[in-house]
Amino acid sequence: MADRKKNHRLVAVAEPNLLDETFDYDLPPLIKFDGPIIEYIDGEPIEFDPKSLKSRDIHITDTTFRDGQQARPPYTIEQMVRIYDLLARLSGPKGVIRQTEFFLYTKNDRETLDRCRALGHTYPECTGWIRAVKGDFRLVKEAGLKETGMLTSCSDYHIFLKSKMDRSQAMATYLEVVDAALEAGVRPRCHLEDITRADIEGFVLPFVDELMERSRQVPEELSVKIRLCDTMGFGISYPGAELPRSIAKLIYKLNQECGVPSSRLEWHGHNDFHKVHTNAATAWLYGCDAANTSIFGFGERTGNQPLEGAVIEYIGLKGDLCGVDTTAITELADYLRSIGLPIPDNYPFVGKAFNTTRAGIHAGGLRQDERIYNIFDTTKLLGRPPKVAITDKSGTDGVVVWINEFFGLEGEERINKIKIHKLARWVMDQYEVHGRLTAISNQELEAKVKELLPKYWKKYKAL
Amino acid sequence: MATVEERVKAVTGRVLNIDPKTMKASDNFAVDLGAESVQSVELVAMFEEEFGIEMDEDGALAVETVGGAIEFIAKVCKEQGVDA
Repeated sequence: MADRKKNHRLVAVAEPNLLDETFDYDLPPLIKFDGPIIEYIDGEPIEFDPKSLKSRDIHITDTTFRDGQQARPPYTIEQMVRIYDLLARLSGPKGVIRQTEFFLYTKNDRETLDRCRALGHTYPECTGWIRAVKGDFRLVKEAGLKETGMLTSCSDYHIFLKSKMDRSQAMATYLEVVDAALEAGVRPRCHLEDITRADIEGFVLPFVDELMERSRQVPEELSVKIRLCDTMGFGISYPGAELPRSIAKLIYKLNQECGVPSSRLEWHGHNDFHKVHTNAATAWLYGCDAANTSIFGFGERTGNQPLEGAVIEYIGLKGDLCGVDTTAITELADYLRSIGLPIPDNYPFVGKAFNTTRAGIHAGGLRQDERIYNIFDTTKLLGRPPKVAITDKSGTDGVVVWINEFFGLEGEERINKIKIHKLARWVMDQYEVHGRLTAISNQELEAKVKELLPKYWKKYKAL
Repeated sequence: MATVEERVKAVTGRVLNIDPKTMKASDNFAVDLGAESVQSVELVAMFEEEFGIEMDEDGALAVETVGGAIEFIAKVCKEQGVDA
């Protein structure tokens, strides 16, 4: 191997280089690439251009009302209509959240769909989800939907062990339903269930070849879409990974060998191995335009790609908000909490403590410049200013950040550490003298501010 | 009237619970006298109260030794027209 050792000289600068072309505080950090990606497929080096993400029509689709509901007791109609309305606001006029799918089986399912559509939003477009059963098209047609997802499971686990068929029978059954959809004028979206555990050359590609052949016979708006369902979360994002787990190779084979355009490919992941977010973005990277998600990742077992994470990733890749109203993410979280859905405190972007620091040394950084310990301008983008929580690790720096935030003081008005020493002492004594083991609540601190710092209380709170 | 040095040592002794007679000008508040983070802030607050002055937070907290504090406080008193 060539000797690549180099000497590196310190570049002394008078002003800090904050790398603000990438870390523009007004946006999530931008995701930039400085060259092509090479993946060896069937022994050949294949080049992918990640810079094309900026111009490609990548987008997000949603399964909150389908996979998301499989993970929890059903939402009421009102709840779903409210969530749909917030999704539309988050999506923005360009349709970054392009579609959402609905069950169609019960009266409530159909009423929900009607009421969501009655809101008149262009995005997300409402689509259906049915079993691969010919009779189910009646439901799609009656609902007046243009597109529906259908189960076309493709691993032998599903074909042999679950459906008790062989591959020929499975393919014939699926194609019969696809034909019925096309005949009914409904665009089929074939959900290739368990694709990351399937025989790609032996079943998936021959099946998709058949779907593409049928697509060529119908108008473009009816041509078959393919959803790659990583049902058990086995997908792998690393270059060089083998099929069927390699996301890059799966997408390349469908896109280039079968000729499914990127606009008709969608990735649907699960989080069984903590890979769901990166896997969905990897699918975008290698030529799949749609990433299927659900709000806060609620979905079967470990859940799906979190929709809000995909939105932040999308902005980072595009380098622009693209009309997305990111504050709707916070409203969605507040709404879900209000109807009893738990969101862990440390959950990114919406957990109660996602931008709360506890360590005094971090609070000291926040006090000097919030950019040091805040991921982006969370006040502007999410309506969530960075906070500190007070514990034995907070130190006077933590206490002073808390108190300035409490009084809403900024700039020259901010109170310094010296003036709040009595409160800082009280906090330390809670742990050192009284042996406390829990964080101190805002209510407790507020009462102590009134008692120990009456001058400031009178000035800023008793107005 | 007590000198600045005597008053600084008396306050330090009170806050850190140390006999002022054992203190030297070269003593480092944190290393030699064991002042912890909150106590450093308390020391500055008590010096302000004792001398009736307002000190710059960063400047005052950057002072490391007893001798440094005597010098710093004498200078602030002079600037703010306070008899020390």
